[in-house]
Amino acid sequence: MSTPLIGVSKSILKIKELINHVANTCLNVLITGETGVGKEVVAQNLYTESARSTKNFVKINCAALPETLLESELFGYEKGAFTGAHRKRPGKFQTADKGVLFLDEIGDMPMALQSKMLHVLQSGEFSPLGSDQEFKTDVWVIAATNHNLEESIYKKTFREDLFYRLNIIKIDVPPLRERKEDIPSLLEYYYRLYKSEYPDNHGSKPDSDIVAKLCNYPWPGNVRQLQNCIKKQMILNSWAKIIEELPQEHPESVPQIETDNRMNGASRPKINEMNDDRTSIISKFVDLSTSSEKLFEDISLKKIKKLAADRVEKEVILFVLEKVGWNRSRAAKILKISYKTLLYKMNEFDISPPVK
Amino acid sequence: MEDPSRLLIVDDNEDILSTFYEFFNSMGYEVKTAVDGFAALKLLRDKSNFFDCLITDLVMPNISGVGLISIVKKEYPHLKIIAMTGYGDQPGALASEAEADVVLFKPIDLFKIENTVAELINQAKDNKKK
Repeated sequence: MSTPLIGVSKSILKIKELINHVANTCLNVLITGETGVGKEVVAQNLYTESARSTKNFVKINCAALPETLLESELFGYEKGAFTGAHRKRPGKFQTADKGVLFLDEIGDMPMALQSKMLHVLQSGEFSPLGSDQEFKTDVWVIAATNHNLEESIYKKTFREDLFYRLNIIKIDVPPLRERKEDIPSLLEYYYRLYKSEYPDNHGSKPDSDIVAKLCNYPWPGNVRQLQNCIKKQMILNSWAKIIEELPQEHPESVPQIETDNRMNGASRPKINEMNDDRTSIISKFVDLSTSSEKLFEDISLKKIKKLAADRVEKEVILFVLEKVGWNRSRAAKILKISYKTLLYKMNEFDISPPVK
Repeated sequence: MEDPSRLLIVDDNEDILSTFYEFFNSMGYEVKTAVDGFAALKLLRDKSNFFDCLITDLVMPNISGVGLISIVKKEYPHLKIIAMTGYGDQPGALASEAEADVVLFKPIDLFKIENTVAELINQAKDNKKK
């Protein structure tokens, strides 16, 4: 089941109408928008409304794989094409034949592959690695990116001819802060969805006050960040806490919880400092305001370990990313983790580059 | 008197759009305009068989000129198409690939384009008679 496109804003309604008009044209589509706005949801809706919906929807993330791997994933390879190619393997262009190939993060595709890509789009033919045969493919290419490709063309990191070939139909999904009227329906939809997925969780629905507060938040991580908040609510059941912990864009309004320990600590009475320090650390991971019975139930070293580690990891990742100007492959090297792990963690912790 | 020929002109630049509108109107054409391929497609789907000729810019938001041409050629093959571009060779080449009848590069002489329109429409009428 694919996710419907949720929203009542003008821009979402226009996107729905556009999808409706172009779903059966099979013309290349370029979907643009910030991280987390729902570009893949748009792609899936194009697919489900098209005559290709009975065939495959094949997705590949061009940023998550190193160049050579991405190449063999896209085009496939023959047995013996390279060390380790023990048997023939079909590429995405083959598995997506007659269906849809969704190229996510196309803006991160290496230049060399971009020219191969262009060749397939022009001729409808491709050859797997280690093969001298050209195969016909009939795929509907839908690409997405959070980069400004016109800028990438100017910086010579994206091919102009590929851009024009992909940009036949362009769907721009605006950030959530520019369509706040969609927030209530998104909250409603994802609340119901997570409730039905985890019926045992008893996170309450946001009341009108909370909805108003959530509508006023700028959501730098867009719909994905909103989804994560609702998931969190399912477990924490405290909207107040979730709102308090939302990262703020302006440094002057950094949430209290971040500052109380380091800054206000000095002005506290000395005698209680040790105890205060301890409770303030613990209170970040467990709700200390409940009865001790409930509290003891909540305290699980394993759970707290995970929460604490996540919190520190997130800060370290942000620290390194900021130092290297959000160059993710450099950051992964410095952190001594794989690029894939970094992307996974960025997604998990809802880390996205600052809005330009 | 013969019915006036009907044109659909598409450009995301409103100045160009109104210049074209005024000009072709004064030359006796019946003109409708649209600000991008999507708006144009909606007009066409609403009134298929209404227009004789489509003049479209290529680089536009939503549905580009190239996209519009591809759809029109498939759904309304009788419609003559003139593509105009100011963005170098790429979009022009794609427009030819999408089988636009004529591709012109900006800046465009209005009288010249009117000649082209008249020729294309006459051709179409001759073909019909045959």
